[in-house]
Amino acid sequence: MSILPKTNELGFFEIRLESIGGLGANLAGKMLAEVGALGHGLNAANFSTYGSEKKGSPVKSYVRFCDEHVHIRDHSPIEQPHVIGIFHEALYKMVDVVSGLRPDGIVLVNSVRSAEHIRRDLRLSYGTLAVVDALGIAVEEKTKVNTAMLGALFRICHFLDPEKMKQVIRKTFEKKYPHLVEANIRTFERGYEEVRFYESEKPSVEEGKPFSRPYPLFGYETQTIGGVIVTNGNSVLKDLSGSRQGFLPKWEEKDCIHCAACDTVCPDFCFVWEEGEDRKGRKQMFLKGIDYQYCKGCLKCVEACPTNALTQYREQIGFAEAHTVKRMSV
Amino acid sequence: MIEQVTTFESGNEMAALAAAQINYHLMGYFPITPSTEIAQLLDQMKARGEHDIVLIPADGEHGSAGICYGAAVMGARVLNATSANGLMYMLEQLPVQSGTRFPMVMNLVTRSISGPLDIRGDHSDLYFALNTGWVILTARTPQAVYDMNIMALKIAEHEDVRLPVIVAYDGFFTSHQKRKVQYFKDRQVVQAFIGERPTHFPNASDPRKPVTIGAHMNGDDLINNHYQQSEALYRAAHVFQQVAKEYAQWSGREYPLLDLYKMEDAEVALFLINSAAETAKDVVDQLRAKGIKAGVISPNIIRPFPSEAIRQACKHVKVLLVGERADSYGAHGGNMTHEIKSALKEDPYNQTIVLTRIFGLGGKDFYPDDAKEFFNIALRTLDKGFAEKPFDYFGHMPGDPQQKWEQVIEPMYGDAFKTGLIQVIEDKETKRLKVKLPPLRALTAKPKRLAPGHGACPGCGIFPALELFFKGIEGDVVVLFQTGCAYVVTTAYPYSSHKQTMIHNLFQNGPATLSGAVEAFFEMKRRGDIQVSDDVTFVMITGDGGMDIGMGSAIGTALRNHKLIMLEYDNEGYMNTGSQMSYSTPIGHMTSTTGVGKTQNGKAFHHKDTPQIMAATNIPYVFTATEAFPQDLIKKAAKAQWYAQHEGTAYGKLLITCPLNWKSEERYGEKIMKAAVDSCFFPLYEVERGKTTITYDPEEKNKRVPLQEWLKYMGKAKHLLKEENRELFASFEQEVERRWHRLKAMHEHPYL
Repeated sequence: MSILPKTNELGFFEIRLESIGGLGANLAGKMLAEVGALGHGLNAANFSTYGSEKKGSPVKSYVRFCDEHVHIRDHSPIEQPHVIGIFHEALYKMVDVVSGLRPDGIVLVNSVRSAEHIRRDLRLSYGTLAVVDALGIAVEEKTKVNTAMLGALFRICHFLDPEKMKQVIRKTFEKKYPHLVEANIRTFERGYEEVRFYESEKPSVEEGKPFSRPYPLFGYETQTIGGVIVTNGNSVLKDLSGSRQGFLPKWEEKDCIHCAACDTVCPDFCFVWEEGEDRKGRKQMFLKGIDYQYCKGCLKCVEACPTNALTQYREQIGFAEAHTVKRMSV
Repeated sequence: MIEQVTTFESGNEMAALAAAQINYHLMGYFPITPSTEIAQLLDQMKARGEHDIVLIPADGEHGSAGICYGAAVMGARVLNATSANGLMYMLEQLPVQSGTRFPMVMNLVTRSISGPLDIRGDHSDLYFALNTGWVILTARTPQAVYDMNIMALKIAEHEDVRLPVIVAYDGFFTSHQKRKVQYFKDRQVVQAFIGERPTHFPNASDPRKPVTIGAHMNGDDLINNHYQQSEALYRAAHVFQQVAKEYAQWSGREYPLLDLYKMEDAEVALFLINSAAETAKDVVDQLRAKGIKAGVISPNIIRPFPSEAIRQACKHVKVLLVGERADSYGAHGGNMTHEIKSALKEDPYNQTIVLTRIFGLGGKDFYPDDAKEFFNIALRTLDKGFAEKPFDYFGHMPGDPQQKWEQVIEPMYGDAFKTGLIQVIEDKETKRLKVKLPPLRALTAKPKRLAPGHGACPGCGIFPALELFFKGIEGDVVVLFQTGCAYVVTTAYPYSSHKQTMIHNLFQNGPATLSGAVEAFFEMKRRGDIQVSDDVTFVMITGDGGMDIGMGSAIGTALRNHKLIMLEYDNEGYMNTGSQMSYSTPIGHMTSTTGVGKTQNGKAFHHKDTPQIMAATNIPYVFTATEAFPQDLIKKAAKAQWYAQHEGTAYGKLLITCPLNWKSEERYGEKIMKAAVDSCFFPLYEVERGKTTITYDPEEKNKRVPLQEWLKYMGKAKHLLKEENRELFASFEQEVERRWHRLKAMHEHPYL
């Protein structure tokens, strides 16, 4: 008798974790799969896909579970998961995170917002929504988001024993960082306890959202030969605001002395300057503001600022859009 | 059956585990994705005292193959691991290894070879290995990776073979996917299976038995040597079967020459190497349920090629589709197609129609519906009775004709980058340059050379340093980026963050490439073939260890004194591939290949002094700089440009923070750089026409801080501050002090 609540045509119960590099989603996927494989006798596979492996860029981690005698031969990414775990809420701006969710699927989101707002932004009209403030828990416990998310995932994957995960946490930390054991176990337990479930108000659907495979912009008839790019500078089209992990620099013009220390240290060219005249009528460069589309929230500028013009700010949804300053020319 | 343990690991983890259990004498390696993990894992295990393998980080794959060959001629047990261009770079060495008949084992974690660069998996590297004379085993699953790594050494050392062996498995699909796997609990079981190291073959280890290894030959002799080798390679098939049979008795897992899935009565079949074959098996089950006689053939060994087994397997197959993850351009089929066709040709009764589809290049995923489509193509061919299109690509698409390249920003050149704010004047008396700079504020008017939207990590130190450098450069530039983070994050097709022309070439060849570019540019200009301004500045940018593997090319270019600038951003490691050590990693610092643990304490030797090496080539200008001293950096850039335009090669090293791998706070990037300078770890100086000048002396300014003040910021170095590492720290401190004093002496004396 299988412990898995449901499986697809190949016998798999599938989970997809959506995150950005640096939040530990890969590790969470690995631990989840490991507990299933080694602690519950399930057969399992776990892998991830990522861009160029840089911190802050989108990553996906996959877990396939099946009964012990079922072979796992498929290597391809999971397109129609039963569970989707979203570690970083702002990701929906860059990635269709709920693509392919099964009709009776569950989406877990790390968020403090209302279920209604989350459903709207994710364009999620069906399935169960699970919400946990993993970041809040991690900040309070001085631990990591992924451990709180794991707690919530274990609640969702009720066929897995949370005690086994706690043993893994204990084993992972007790040798090198014994002082972190209890905080991490608390983080896991709080994720498990504090996750809230919201069923869709709509009647259940027959089919989930179809998965859309991303297609390349150009094909063999439209690529320039040799892979040459002839539109230099087109990376300005990218939106990197999803890389921020909760903080951004806030600029107060009145305190700014336009010294350019911020501009000198910014890795992402976010500071927008314009020529103007100073009080004596001489031509001078003036800082006009920050283009938050490219700001990854490293806060080097806050450190570099010799006045209080730049300060660290806990990002609220909508702040960046309201305060961004676009450059006239790039 | 012998006791085995079940675990949940990836292909790379299983390769490393097998190696640790075998306890090879030595591994020479150079990091390249996706094979690098093997060396990293072995380093971690070594730090924990779990094996004694001597791990040697080479200066490039060519060097790694040399290190391995040297160890193999000693009669040692030797391991290597590589991928893609790593294999290409060492290719020359592979026939040396096989032709002189020294066994070793190499994991080839398959990946697409450049160009264009693509870090994901296909078999284009594997196909280049086919003619090297090595035995090649192909492992479809993490379990097979473990098993074949154990069998490989036994086959390699067998007296009928005495050849090196490659174990090839799919990059990412197999190397990084975790599966349930079994391994022998006791490593002595593994060692007993392989047996004692044969010592009766000639090697270089015994002075009492002197030998000459590698004498040169003429054709009369060479043909006999090669015949021996050819025979040995064919014998390897039989030895493989013997070893696999024995291994099955120990492990319960069988590896025939060909893995045949429902082939007994198959009419349509796919031939697929490695992971794709697994995916196709699920589809076979579905087709069989519908009454279609489908099957899959997948080899466990491709050198020697199992021709006879192929003939047997295809006796009743009407259509065979050979899916190939690499092309043999212009040959009307990939390598496997031709080997299968020639195998079948030997059977006069064979009627199989053979189709080729080139698929899944560069890690393009192979979904079950792709396998289904392969079978559909085979079934349509079966209906027709002939191959309408024997050779084709699969999964390529023409693209939407409506989709046009759109110029998002107007091309910027010439006056766009000339501010007139920076003046460089040569002092005829001192023979030195003087640079006048406006305040940084005024320079914000100068457009940046790179556009925003690049994908670097938050807090990356590369871009502030590069942009400060470019602030000092007036007018047009042509830049060449060697492979590394700066290249990867600015050029993800079809996006580019470069405003001016950017050329990429591989990790080790940037300086040579740019020297060709600069000479061609000026020659074409001289002949009137191109009409362009002649104040274009050529800049080669490298980092992430590019001055290790690319050192030869850099020195050659410097000695030829081409008019160009070589600029190194030094992040003290191979950060682009996951923080492996580079020669510029300071002593004791932790990287993914210099772990900290019971038996080792970070990197074992001092950091490379690249500016001094470059200064020894007597180029007109060498400098060091960092973002924490922006005016100093911009001035040096302006000088470098002047020298590159008037005299020849300039070289500069920009120290930068890598918060991710230095394990430092993103926001402290500039402070960390300042501490690196003020602690004299990274002195700011220049060597101008042979004369050394310290451009910022922290002692003079009363700013000198102890080395701890720099180290405390970085998780990779914090352990050096612990009491138990006092000696290691002292050795680091002494070296920093020695280099600083030497520099001061050079600063004071014009002939030093």
